[in-house]
Amino acid sequence: MKPILILITFLISLFTFNILHSQTINWKSLQNEQKHILNANTGWEYGFVYGIGYAYRLETKIPMVLEGSVSFASGEVILDDFKTKIGGQINLYQIENFNFNAAVHGIYRRYGNPLVTLQNFGADATAIIGYYKPKWFAAGEFGFDKAIVTHFKHADIYTDVYPDVKNGWFEPATGGNFNFGIQGGYSFNRSDITLRAGKVMTEDFKTSPLVPFYLQLGYNYKLD
Amino acid sequence: MKNKVLSAIAMAVSVFFFLGCEEENSIDQPGNLVPKTVDQDSSIPSISINGTQLHAETFGNPNNPMVVFLHGGPGSDYRSSLNAKDLADDGYYVIFYDQRGSGLSKRHDQNSYSIQLVLDDLTGVIAHYRTSNTQKVFLFGHSWGAMLATAYVNTYPALINGVILAEPGGLNKKLLDEYGESSRKLNLFSEATSDLFYMDQFLTGKENEHEILDYKMGISTSFSYAKGNDEGIEGPSPFWRMGTAVLNGFIDIAENDGFDFTTNLTQYDTKVLFLFGEMNKSYGYHFARKEAMYFRNAQIEEVKGTGHEMIYFKWENVHPIVLNYLNELK
Repeated sequence: MKPILILITFLISLFTFNILHSQTINWKSLQNEQKHILNANTGWEYGFVYGIGYAYRLETKIPMVLEGSVSFASGEVILDDFKTKIGGQINLYQIENFNFNAAVHGIYRRYGNPLVTLQNFGADATAIIGYYKPKWFAAGEFGFDKAIVTHFKHADIYTDVYPDVKNGWFEPATGGNFNFGIQGGYSFNRSDITLRAGKVMTEDFKTSPLVPFYLQLGYNYKLD
Repeated sequence: MKNKVLSAIAMAVSVFFFLGCEEENSIDQPGNLVPKTVDQDSSIPSISINGTQLHAETFGNPNNPMVVFLHGGPGSDYRSSLNAKDLADDGYYVIFYDQRGSGLSKRHDQNSYSIQLVLDDLTGVIAHYRTSNTQKVFLFGHSWGAMLATAYVNTYPALINGVILAEPGGLNKKLLDEYGESSRKLNLFSEATSDLFYMDQFLTGKENEHEILDYKMGISTSFSYAKGNDEGIEGPSPFWRMGTAVLNGFIDIAENDGFDFTTNLTQYDTKVLFLFGEMNKSYGYHFARKEAMYFRNAQIEEVKGTGHEMIYFKWENVHPIVLNYLNELK
Protein backbone atom coordinates (compact mmCIF):
# COMPACT_ATOMS: atom_id res chain seq x y z
CA MET A 1 0.00 0.00 0.00
CA LYS A 2 1.33 3.43 -0.88
CA PRO A 3 1.77 6.04 1.82
CA ILE A 4 -1.04 8.21 0.51
CA LEU A 5 -3.45 5.31 0.75
CA ILE A 6 -2.36 4.65 4.32
CA LEU A 7 -2.94 8.29 5.12
CA ILE A 8 -6.35 8.27 3.50
CA THR A 9 -7.27 5.10 5.37
CA PHE A 10 -6.16 6.70 8.59
CA LEU A 11 -8.13 9.89 8.03
CA ILE A 12 -11.24 8.08 6.86
CA SER A 13 -11.04 5.86 9.91
CA LEU A 14 -10.54 8.87 12.11
CA PHE A 15 -13.41 10.93 10.82
CA THR A 16 -16.04 8.45 9.78
CA PHE A 17 -15.56 5.19 11.53
CA ASN A 18 -14.21 5.54 14.97
CA ILE A 19 -15.39 5.99 18.44
CA LEU A 20 -13.80 4.75 22.02
CA HIS A 21 -11.58 5.30 25.03
CA SER A 22 -12.12 8.99 25.42
CA GLN A 23 -12.30 11.01 28.57
CA THR A 24 -15.38 10.03 30.49
CA ILE A 25 -17.46 13.20 30.68
CA ASN A 26 -20.66 14.06 32.48
CA TRP A 27 -22.13 16.47 29.93
CA LYS A 28 -24.87 17.55 32.33
CA SER A 29 -22.41 18.74 34.98
CA LEU A 30 -20.30 20.71 32.50
CA GLN A 31 -21.08 24.38 33.00
CA ASN A 32 -21.06 26.87 30.13
CA GLU A 33 -18.11 28.77 31.55
CA GLN A 34 -16.02 25.65 32.07
CA LYS A 35 -13.69 25.38 29.05
CA HIS A 36 -10.89 23.14 30.26
CA ILE A 37 -11.07 19.59 31.61
CA LEU A 38 -8.02 18.00 33.20
CA ASN A 39 -8.10 14.25 33.60
CA ALA A 40 -6.09 11.59 35.40
CA ASN A 41 -6.88 7.91 35.16
CA THR A 42 -5.61 4.46 35.93
CA GLY A 43 -6.76 0.92 35.32
CA TRP A 44 -6.38 -2.11 33.10
CA GLU A 45 -6.33 -1.73 29.35
CA TYR A 46 -3.98 -4.27 27.73
CA GLY A 47 -1.89 -3.91 30.88
CA PHE A 48 -1.99 -1.82 34.00
CA VAL A 49 -1.86 1.77 32.75
CA TYR A 50 -1.66 5.31 34.12
CA GLY A 51 -2.87 8.21 32.03
CA ILE A 52 -3.46 11.94 31.92
CA GLY A 53 -5.56 13.97 29.52
CA TYR A 54 -6.76 17.41 28.62
CA ALA A 55 -9.97 18.44 26.91
CA TYR A 56 -11.02 21.85 25.57
CA ARG A 57 -14.66 22.68 25.20
CA LEU A 58 -15.47 24.42 21.93
CA GLU A 59 -18.03 27.20 21.70
CA THR A 60 -20.33 25.39 19.32
CA LYS A 61 -24.04 24.91 19.10
CA ILE A 62 -23.71 21.18 19.64
CA PRO A 63 -21.63 20.42 22.77
CA MET A 64 -18.18 19.32 21.64
CA VAL A 65 -14.70 18.93 23.13
CA LEU A 66 -11.28 18.46 21.57
CA GLU A 67 -9.01 16.28 23.65
CA GLY A 68 -5.60 14.70 23.91
CA SER A 69 -4.26 12.09 26.26
CA VAL A 70 -1.26 9.97 27.02
CA SER A 71 -1.06 6.74 29.01
CA PHE A 72 1.82 4.53 30.03
CA ALA A 73 1.93 0.83 30.85
CA SER A 74 3.39 0.03 34.24
CA GLY A 75 6.74 -1.67 34.56
CA GLU A 76 10.37 -0.96 35.24
CA VAL A 77 10.81 0.71 31.84
CA ILE A 78 8.20 3.48 31.69
CA LEU A 79 8.64 4.90 28.20
CA ASP A 80 8.73 1.70 26.17
CA ASP A 81 4.97 1.07 26.20
CA PHE A 82 2.65 4.04 25.80
CA LYS A 83 -0.30 5.40 23.88
CA THR A 84 -1.14 8.94 22.82
CA LYS A 85 -4.48 9.98 21.45
CA ILE A 86 -5.90 13.14 19.97
CA GLY A 87 -9.45 13.66 18.86
CA GLY A 88 -12.78 14.83 20.07
CA GLN A 89 -16.15 14.05 21.57
CA ILE A 90 -19.53 15.34 20.61
CA ASN A 91 -22.86 15.29 22.43
CA LEU A 92 -24.88 14.45 19.32
CA TYR A 93 -28.41 14.11 20.58
CA GLN A 94 -30.44 14.63 23.73
CA ILE A 95 -33.91 13.58 24.81
CA GLU A 96 -34.49 14.96 28.28
CA ASN A 97 -31.78 13.28 30.35
CA PHE A 98 -30.84 10.70 27.75
CA ASN A 99 -27.78 11.59 25.67
CA PHE A 100 -26.12 10.05 22.65
CA ASN A 101 -22.43 10.87 22.44
CA ALA A 102 -19.70 9.92 20.02
CA ALA A 103 -15.93 10.19 20.17
CA VAL A 104 -13.16 9.71 17.61
CA HIS A 105 -9.40 9.69 18.09
CA GLY A 106 -6.26 9.20 16.13
CA ILE A 107 -3.73 7.09 18.01
CA TYR A 108 0.02 6.81 18.11
CA ARG A 109 1.30 4.02 20.35
CA ARG A 110 4.51 2.19 21.05
CA TYR A 111 5.35 -1.26 22.38
CA GLY A 112 8.78 -2.53 23.31
CA ASN A 113 10.02 -5.82 24.70
CA PRO A 114 13.42 -7.55 24.51
CA LEU A 115 12.64 -8.91 21.02
CA VAL A 116 10.90 -6.11 19.14
CA THR A 117 9.78 -2.49 19.15
CA LEU A 118 6.44 -1.71 17.51
CA GLN A 119 5.13 1.74 16.60
CA ASN A 120 1.58 2.01 15.43
CA PHE A 121 -0.80 4.54 13.98
CA GLY A 122 -4.39 3.67 14.61
CA ALA A 123 -7.76 5.10 15.41
CA ASP A 124 -10.56 4.44 17.79
CA ALA A 125 -14.22 5.29 17.93
CA THR A 126 -16.86 5.02 20.62
CA ALA A 127 -20.60 5.44 20.76
CA ILE A 128 -22.01 6.22 24.20
CA ILE A 129 -25.67 6.21 25.16
CA GLY A 130 -26.61 7.09 28.72
CA TYR A 131 -28.67 8.84 31.34
CA TYR A 132 -27.11 12.07 32.58
CA LYS A 133 -27.93 14.16 35.65
CA PRO A 134 -25.90 17.06 37.06
CA LYS A 135 -24.65 14.91 39.96
CA TRP A 136 -24.25 11.54 38.27
CA PHE A 137 -24.49 9.62 35.04
CA ALA A 138 -24.60 6.04 33.79
CA ALA A 139 -24.06 4.95 30.19
CA GLY A 140 -23.31 2.08 27.90
CA GLU A 141 -20.48 2.24 25.39
CA PHE A 142 -19.45 0.39 22.27
CA GLY A 143 -16.23 1.00 20.45
CA PHE A 144 -13.65 -0.17 17.98
CA ASP A 145 -9.88 0.27 18.03
CA LYS A 146 -7.98 -0.35 14.80
CA ALA A 147 -4.19 -0.71 14.54
CA ILE A 148 -3.94 0.63 11.00
CA VAL A 149 -0.25 0.58 10.18
CA THR A 150 2.63 -0.69 12.30
CA HIS A 151 6.40 -0.34 12.18
CA PHE A 152 8.50 -3.31 13.34
CA LYS A 153 12.09 -3.06 14.53
CA HIS A 154 13.53 -6.33 15.77
CA ALA A 155 16.23 -6.73 18.39
CA ASP A 156 19.15 -9.15 18.21
CA ILE A 157 17.35 -11.81 20.24
CA TYR A 158 14.76 -12.19 17.49
CA THR A 159 17.10 -11.73 14.53
CA ASP A 160 19.22 -14.52 16.04
CA VAL A 161 16.08 -16.67 16.01
CA TYR A 162 15.09 -15.64 12.50
CA PRO A 163 17.76 -13.71 10.55
CA ASP A 164 15.48 -13.09 7.56
CA VAL A 165 12.77 -11.29 9.53
CA LYS A 166 11.63 -8.05 7.90
CA ASN A 167 11.83 -4.68 9.63
CA GLY A 168 9.81 -1.66 8.54
CA TRP A 169 6.18 -0.77 7.96
CA PHE A 170 3.64 -3.54 7.71
CA GLU A 171 0.21 -3.49 6.16
CA PRO A 172 -2.67 -4.17 5.89
CA ALA A 173 -3.97 -3.42 9.36
CA THR A 174 -2.22 -5.52 11.99
CA GLY A 175 -5.02 -5.60 14.52
CA GLY A 176 -8.44 -4.52 15.58
CA ASN A 177 -10.48 -4.94 18.75
CA PHE A 178 -14.07 -4.21 19.67
CA ASN A 179 -15.07 -3.22 23.16
CA PHE A 180 -18.39 -2.91 24.89
CA GLY A 181 -19.10 -1.96 28.46
CA ILE A 182 -20.52 0.57 30.87
CA GLN A 183 -19.40 3.88 32.26
CA GLY A 184 -20.64 6.02 35.09
CA GLY A 185 -19.63 8.78 37.40
CA TYR A 186 -20.34 11.08 40.30
CA SER A 187 -19.93 14.86 39.95
CA PHE A 188 -19.33 17.41 42.67
CA ASN A 189 -18.12 21.03 42.59
CA ARG A 190 -15.68 21.12 39.66
CA SER A 191 -14.87 17.42 39.80
CA ASP A 192 -16.05 14.11 38.35
CA ILE A 193 -15.05 10.66 39.56
CA THR A 194 -15.66 8.17 36.76
CA LEU A 195 -15.53 4.45 36.20
CA ARG A 196 -15.50 2.46 32.97
CA ALA A 197 -15.50 -1.31 32.60
CA GLY A 198 -16.18 -3.77 29.85
CA LYS A 199 -15.09 -6.57 27.60
CA VAL A 200 -12.72 -6.62 24.64
CA MET A 201 -12.98 -8.93 21.63
CA THR A 202 -10.90 -9.15 18.51
CA GLU A 203 -12.51 -8.14 15.26
CA ASP A 204 -13.37 -11.69 14.19
CA PHE A 205 -15.52 -12.11 17.35
CA LYS A 206 -13.94 -15.59 17.79
CA THR A 207 -10.80 -14.72 19.71
CA SER A 208 -10.00 -12.41 22.59
CA PRO A 209 -6.96 -10.63 23.94
CA LEU A 210 -5.17 -12.54 26.72
CA VAL A 211 -7.03 -10.41 29.25
CA PRO A 212 -10.33 -9.59 27.53
CA PHE A 213 -11.47 -6.89 29.94
CA TYR A 214 -10.83 -3.24 30.66
CA LEU A 215 -11.36 -1.21 33.79
CA GLN A 216 -10.63 2.48 34.22
CA LEU A 217 -10.97 4.77 37.23
CA GLY A 218 -10.78 8.45 36.31
CA TYR A 219 -10.86 11.90 37.82
CA ASN A 220 -11.79 15.11 35.98
CA TYR A 221 -11.22 18.66 37.16
CA LYS A 222 -12.98 21.44 35.24
CA LEU A 223 -11.62 24.96 34.88
CA ASP A 224 -13.07 28.18 33.46
CA MET B 1 -8.65 26.92 16.64
CA LYS B 2 -10.42 23.70 15.66
CA ASN B 3 -9.20 23.99 12.09
CA LYS B 4 -5.65 24.66 13.24
CA VAL B 5 -5.61 21.60 15.46
CA LEU B 6 -6.98 19.36 12.74
CA SER B 7 -4.49 20.72 10.23
CA ALA B 8 -1.65 20.08 12.63
CA ILE B 9 -2.77 16.49 13.16
CA ALA B 10 -3.08 15.85 9.43
CA MET B 11 0.35 17.40 8.78
CA ALA B 12 2.06 15.36 11.52
CA VAL B 13 0.53 12.14 10.30
CA SER B 14 1.43 12.89 6.67
CA VAL B 15 5.06 13.64 7.48
CA PHE B 16 5.38 10.51 9.60
CA PHE B 17 3.96 8.24 6.94
CA PHE B 18 5.88 9.72 4.03
CA LEU B 19 9.17 9.54 5.92
CA GLY B 20 8.51 6.12 7.31
CA CYS B 21 7.30 4.21 4.30
CA GLU B 22 10.61 3.45 2.66
CA GLU B 23 9.91 -0.22 3.31
CA GLU B 24 6.49 -1.85 3.13
CA ASN B 25 5.76 -5.43 4.05
CA SER B 26 2.68 -7.57 4.13
CA ILE B 27 1.71 -8.79 7.57
CA ASP B 28 0.51 -12.18 6.37
CA GLN B 29 3.15 -12.91 3.71
CA PRO B 30 4.95 -16.21 4.54
CA GLY B 31 8.54 -15.58 5.55
CA ASN B 32 8.18 -11.92 6.53
CA LEU B 33 7.87 -12.30 10.29
CA VAL B 34 8.30 -16.01 10.90
CA PRO B 35 10.12 -18.71 8.90
CA LYS B 36 8.25 -20.67 6.27
CA THR B 37 7.08 -24.15 7.17
CA VAL B 38 8.01 -27.41 5.43
CA ASP B 39 5.05 -27.23 3.09
CA GLN B 40 6.09 -23.71 2.03
CA ASP B 41 9.85 -24.37 1.68
CA SER B 42 10.96 -27.68 0.21
CA SER B 43 14.57 -27.17 1.32
CA ILE B 44 13.63 -27.89 4.94
CA PRO B 45 14.12 -31.58 5.90
CA SER B 46 10.77 -33.24 6.41
CA ILE B 47 8.80 -36.46 6.53
CA SER B 48 5.18 -37.05 5.52
CA ILE B 49 3.21 -39.20 7.94
CA ASN B 50 -0.35 -39.52 9.20
CA GLY B 51 -1.72 -36.87 6.87
CA THR B 52 0.73 -34.16 7.72
CA GLN B 53 4.28 -33.00 6.96
CA LEU B 54 6.73 -32.75 9.84
CA HIS B 55 10.08 -31.01 10.08
CA ALA B 56 12.48 -33.77 11.15
CA GLU B 57 16.17 -34.61 11.39
CA THR B 58 18.17 -37.62 12.55
CA PHE B 59 21.67 -38.09 13.90
CA GLY B 60 23.67 -41.30 14.31
CA ASN B 61 23.63 -44.81 12.91
CA PRO B 62 20.07 -45.79 11.91
CA ASN B 63 20.65 -49.30 13.26
CA ASN B 64 21.46 -48.13 16.79
CA PRO B 65 18.80 -47.96 19.52
CA MET B 66 16.45 -45.07 18.75
CA VAL B 67 16.01 -42.04 20.98
CA VAL B 68 13.02 -39.99 19.84
CA PHE B 69 13.11 -36.48 21.27
CA LEU B 70 9.78 -34.80 22.09
CA HIS B 71 9.93 -31.03 22.48
CA GLY B 72 7.85 -28.85 24.78
CA GLY B 73 4.95 -26.54 24.22
CA PRO B 74 2.56 -27.55 22.84
CA GLY B 75 3.68 -25.39 19.99
CA SER B 76 7.38 -25.01 20.69
CA ASP B 77 10.07 -26.83 18.64
CA TYR B 78 13.23 -28.88 19.02
CA ARG B 79 15.80 -26.19 18.19
CA SER B 80 16.73 -25.49 21.81
CA SER B 81 17.16 -29.22 22.47
CA LEU B 82 19.66 -30.00 19.73
CA ASN B 83 22.32 -30.56 22.39
CA ALA B 84 20.73 -33.99 22.76
CA LYS B 85 22.17 -34.97 19.40
CA ASP B 86 25.38 -35.73 21.35
CA LEU B 87 23.69 -39.04 22.12
CA ALA B 88 24.44 -40.01 18.52
CA ASP B 89 28.14 -40.13 19.42
CA ASP B 90 27.24 -42.34 22.37
CA GLY B 91 25.79 -45.06 20.15
CA TYR B 92 22.17 -43.96 19.68
CA TYR B 93 20.09 -43.06 16.66
CA VAL B 94 18.63 -39.69 17.67
CA ILE B 95 15.44 -38.45 16.02
CA PHE B 96 14.12 -34.92 16.32
CA TYR B 97 10.85 -33.74 14.89
CA ASP B 98 8.67 -30.68 15.29
CA GLN B 99 5.27 -31.93 16.32
CA ARG B 100 2.22 -31.32 14.16
CA GLY B 101 1.52 -27.58 13.90
CA SER B 102 4.75 -26.71 15.76
CA GLY B 103 8.12 -25.28 14.77
CA LEU B 104 8.61 -25.65 11.01
CA SER B 105 6.04 -28.42 10.61
CA LYS B 106 2.88 -27.90 8.58
CA ARG B 107 0.09 -25.84 10.17
CA HIS B 108 -3.46 -27.09 10.71
CA ASP B 109 -6.69 -25.56 11.97
CA GLN B 110 -7.00 -25.08 15.69
CA ASN B 111 -10.00 -27.37 15.98
CA SER B 112 -8.26 -30.30 14.23
CA TYR B 113 -6.09 -31.41 17.15
CA SER B 114 -6.56 -34.31 19.55
CA ILE B 115 -4.34 -36.27 21.91
CA GLN B 116 -4.84 -39.44 19.85
CA LEU B 117 -3.81 -37.58 16.69
CA VAL B 118 -0.41 -36.60 18.09
CA LEU B 119 0.06 -40.10 19.52
CA ASP B 120 -0.59 -41.45 16.04
CA ASP B 121 1.96 -38.98 14.68
CA LEU B 122 4.54 -40.37 17.09
CA THR B 123 3.68 -43.92 16.03
CA GLY B 124 4.19 -42.78 12.45
CA VAL B 125 7.56 -41.16 13.22
CA ILE B 126 8.83 -44.30 14.96
CA ALA B 127 7.63 -46.49 12.10
CA HIS B 128 9.24 -44.17 9.55
CA TYR B 129 12.70 -44.36 11.08
CA ARG B 130 12.77 -47.79 12.70
CA THR B 131 15.01 -50.15 10.76
CA SER B 132 14.11 -53.46 12.44
CA ASN B 133 11.53 -54.93 14.77
CA THR B 134 14.23 -55.62 17.36
CA GLN B 135 15.51 -52.04 17.42
CA LYS B 136 14.91 -50.56 20.86
CA VAL B 137 12.93 -47.33 21.11
CA PHE B 138 13.42 -44.73 23.86
CA LEU B 139 11.43 -41.53 24.33
CA PHE B 140 13.09 -38.39 25.68
CA GLY B 141 10.54 -35.69 26.45
CA HIS B 142 10.89 -32.19 27.81
CA SER B 143 7.99 -30.34 29.49
CA TRP B 144 4.94 -30.90 27.25
CA GLY B 145 7.04 -33.44 25.37
CA ALA B 146 7.44 -35.38 28.61
CA MET B 147 3.67 -35.29 29.06
CA LEU B 148 3.29 -36.61 25.52
CA ALA B 149 5.83 -39.38 26.17
CA THR B 150 3.85 -40.36 29.26
CA ALA B 151 0.62 -40.38 27.25
CA TYR B 152 2.30 -42.67 24.75
CA VAL B 153 3.48 -45.29 27.27
CA ASN B 154 0.12 -45.00 29.02
CA THR B 155 -1.52 -46.02 25.74
CA TYR B 156 1.15 -48.31 24.29
CA PRO B 157 3.22 -49.61 27.22
CA ALA B 158 4.70 -52.54 25.30
CA LEU B 159 6.19 -50.47 22.48
CA ILE B 160 8.70 -48.33 24.40
CA ASN B 161 11.92 -49.55 26.00
CA GLY B 162 12.59 -46.57 28.24
CA VAL B 163 11.39 -43.05 28.97
CA ILE B 164 13.19 -39.90 30.07
CA LEU B 165 10.88 -37.21 31.43
CA ALA B 166 12.36 -33.75 31.95
CA GLU B 167 9.89 -31.79 34.06
CA PRO B 168 6.54 -32.85 32.58
CA GLY B 169 4.19 -30.00 33.44
CA GLY B 170 1.40 -32.26 34.72
CA LEU B 171 0.49 -35.84 33.90
CA ASN B 172 -3.19 -35.08 34.39
CA LYS B 173 -5.34 -31.96 34.47
CA LYS B 174 -5.08 -31.58 38.24
CA LEU B 175 -1.28 -31.64 38.19
CA LEU B 176 -1.19 -29.34 35.17
CA ASP B 177 -3.28 -26.77 37.01
CA GLU B 178 -1.13 -27.13 40.10
CA TYR B 179 2.06 -26.57 38.14
CA GLY B 180 0.51 -23.73 36.13
CA GLU B 181 -0.60 -21.85 39.22
CA SER B 182 2.80 -22.25 40.76
CA SER B 183 4.93 -21.36 37.74
CA ARG B 184 2.96 -18.57 36.08
CA LYS B 185 2.34 -16.03 38.79
CA LEU B 186 1.62 -12.57 37.43
CA ASN B 187 2.68 -9.30 38.95
CA LEU B 188 0.19 -6.89 37.38
CA PHE B 189 2.58 -3.96 37.63
CA SER B 190 5.72 -5.62 36.24
CA GLU B 191 7.43 -4.98 32.94
CA ALA B 192 7.11 -8.66 32.04
CA THR B 193 3.33 -8.48 32.44
CA SER B 194 3.09 -5.36 30.28
CA ASP B 195 5.33 -7.03 27.69
CA LEU B 196 2.96 -9.98 27.57
CA PHE B 197 -0.39 -8.16 27.34
CA TYR B 198 0.20 -4.70 25.86
CA MET B 199 0.86 -5.99 22.35
CA ASP B 200 -2.74 -7.21 22.08
CA GLN B 201 -3.75 -3.77 20.78
CA PHE B 202 -1.06 -3.84 18.05
CA LEU B 203 -1.42 -7.38 16.75
CA THR B 204 -4.53 -9.48 16.90
CA GLY B 205 -4.74 -12.21 14.29
CA LYS B 206 -7.78 -14.28 13.57
CA GLU B 207 -8.18 -17.90 14.66
CA ASN B 208 -6.07 -19.56 11.95
CA GLU B 209 -3.92 -16.65 10.74
CA HIS B 210 -0.82 -18.68 11.54
CA GLU B 211 1.87 -16.18 10.50
CA ILE B 212 0.54 -13.42 12.76
CA LEU B 213 -0.40 -15.65 15.68
CA ASP B 214 2.89 -17.58 15.62
CA TYR B 215 4.88 -14.37 15.44
CA LYS B 216 2.97 -12.88 18.32
CA MET B 217 3.59 -15.95 20.45
CA GLY B 218 7.25 -15.93 19.50
CA ILE B 219 7.83 -12.37 20.63
CA SER B 220 5.95 -13.15 23.86
CA THR B 221 8.57 -15.67 24.89
CA SER B 222 10.48 -13.03 26.85
CA PHE B 223 7.85 -13.47 29.57
CA SER B 224 9.13 -16.99 30.32
CA TYR B 225 12.66 -15.83 31.13
CA ALA B 226 11.82 -12.53 32.81
CA LYS B 227 14.03 -11.65 35.76
CA GLY B 228 13.04 -13.61 38.84
CA ASN B 229 10.88 -16.14 36.98
CA ASP B 230 9.90 -19.11 39.15
CA GLU B 231 10.97 -21.72 36.64
CA GLY B 232 14.61 -20.68 36.89
CA ILE B 233 14.94 -19.98 33.18
CA GLU B 234 18.24 -18.23 32.65
CA GLY B 235 17.50 -16.32 29.45
CA PRO B 236 16.35 -16.68 25.87
CA SER B 237 16.80 -20.00 24.12
CA PRO B 238 16.57 -20.47 20.36
CA PHE B 239 13.44 -21.56 18.56
CA TRP B 240 12.35 -21.65 14.95
CA ARG B 241 8.70 -20.77 15.11
CA MET B 242 5.96 -21.11 17.67
CA GLY B 243 2.70 -22.89 16.88
CA THR B 244 -0.21 -20.95 18.32
CA ALA B 245 -3.09 -22.94 16.83
CA VAL B 246 -1.82 -26.21 18.29
CA LEU B 247 -1.30 -24.58 21.67
CA ASN B 248 -4.78 -23.08 21.68
CA GLY B 249 -6.21 -26.35 20.42
CA PHE B 250 -4.73 -28.29 23.34
CA ILE B 251 -5.70 -25.58 25.84
CA ASP B 252 -9.28 -26.00 24.63
CA ILE B 253 -9.02 -29.78 25.00
CA ALA B 254 -7.57 -29.52 28.51
CA GLU B 255 -10.20 -27.01 29.62
CA ASN B 256 -13.20 -28.64 27.98
CA ASP B 257 -12.43 -32.34 28.23
CA GLY B 258 -9.62 -32.60 30.76
CA PHE B 259 -7.01 -35.31 30.37
CA ASP B 260 -5.34 -38.01 32.40
CA PHE B 261 -2.20 -39.73 31.11
CA THR B 262 -1.79 -41.87 34.23
CA THR B 263 -4.68 -44.31 33.95
CA ASN B 264 -2.61 -47.23 32.66
CA LEU B 265 0.92 -46.46 33.80
CA THR B 266 1.02 -49.38 36.19
CA GLN B 267 1.27 -51.56 33.09
CA TYR B 268 4.64 -50.03 32.31
CA ASP B 269 7.30 -52.01 34.19
CA THR B 270 10.43 -50.40 32.80
CA LYS B 271 12.26 -47.86 34.96
CA VAL B 272 11.44 -44.25 34.06
CA LEU B 273 13.93 -41.41 34.51
CA PHE B 274 12.59 -38.11 35.92
CA LEU B 275 14.74 -34.99 35.66
CA PHE B 276 14.13 -31.71 37.44
CA GLY B 277 16.15 -28.51 37.50
CA GLU B 278 17.58 -27.32 40.79
CA MET B 279 16.55 -23.69 40.09
CA ASN B 280 12.93 -24.37 39.12
CA LYS B 281 11.06 -23.30 42.26
CA SER B 282 7.75 -24.52 40.84
CA TYR B 283 8.83 -28.12 40.20
CA GLY B 284 11.49 -29.50 42.53
CA TYR B 285 11.80 -32.93 44.08
CA HIS B 286 8.36 -32.66 45.68
CA PHE B 287 6.52 -32.31 42.35
CA ALA B 288 8.76 -34.81 40.58
CA ARG B 289 7.99 -37.38 43.28
CA LYS B 290 4.27 -36.67 42.99
CA GLU B 291 4.42 -37.43 39.25
CA ALA B 292 6.81 -40.36 39.58
CA MET B 293 4.42 -42.08 42.00
CA TYR B 294 2.21 -43.04 39.05
CA PHE B 295 4.94 -45.30 37.69
CA ARG B 296 5.93 -48.63 39.19
CA ASN B 297 9.61 -47.94 38.82
CA ALA B 298 10.99 -44.41 38.66
CA GLN B 299 14.37 -42.77 39.20
CA ILE B 300 14.37 -39.08 40.10
CA GLU B 301 17.45 -36.97 39.42
CA GLU B 302 18.16 -33.32 40.10
CA VAL B 303 20.04 -31.35 37.45
CA LYS B 304 22.28 -28.88 39.23
CA GLY B 305 22.62 -25.21 38.37
CA THR B 306 19.65 -24.76 36.05
CA GLY B 307 15.89 -24.60 35.78
CA HIS B 308 13.22 -25.70 33.35
CA GLU B 309 15.33 -25.18 30.22
CA MET B 310 17.97 -27.61 31.46
CA ILE B 311 18.67 -29.22 28.07
CA TYR B 312 19.76 -25.92 26.54
CA PHE B 313 21.47 -24.25 29.48
CA LYS B 314 23.06 -27.19 31.34
CA TRP B 315 23.30 -30.03 28.88
CA GLU B 316 26.68 -30.92 30.37
CA ASN B 317 24.84 -31.84 33.58
CA VAL B 318 21.89 -33.52 31.86
CA HIS B 319 23.95 -35.61 29.45
CA PRO B 320 25.69 -37.99 31.92
CA ILE B 321 22.45 -38.73 33.76
CA VAL B 322 20.59 -39.49 30.54
CA LEU B 323 23.44 -41.53 29.12
CA ASN B 324 23.77 -43.70 32.25
CA TYR B 325 20.03 -44.39 32.14
CA LEU B 326 20.03 -45.29 28.45
CA ASN B 327 23.11 -47.48 28.77
CA GLU B 328 21.45 -49.41 31.60
CA LEU B 329 18.55 -50.28 29.33
CA LYS B 330 20.43 -50.55 26.06
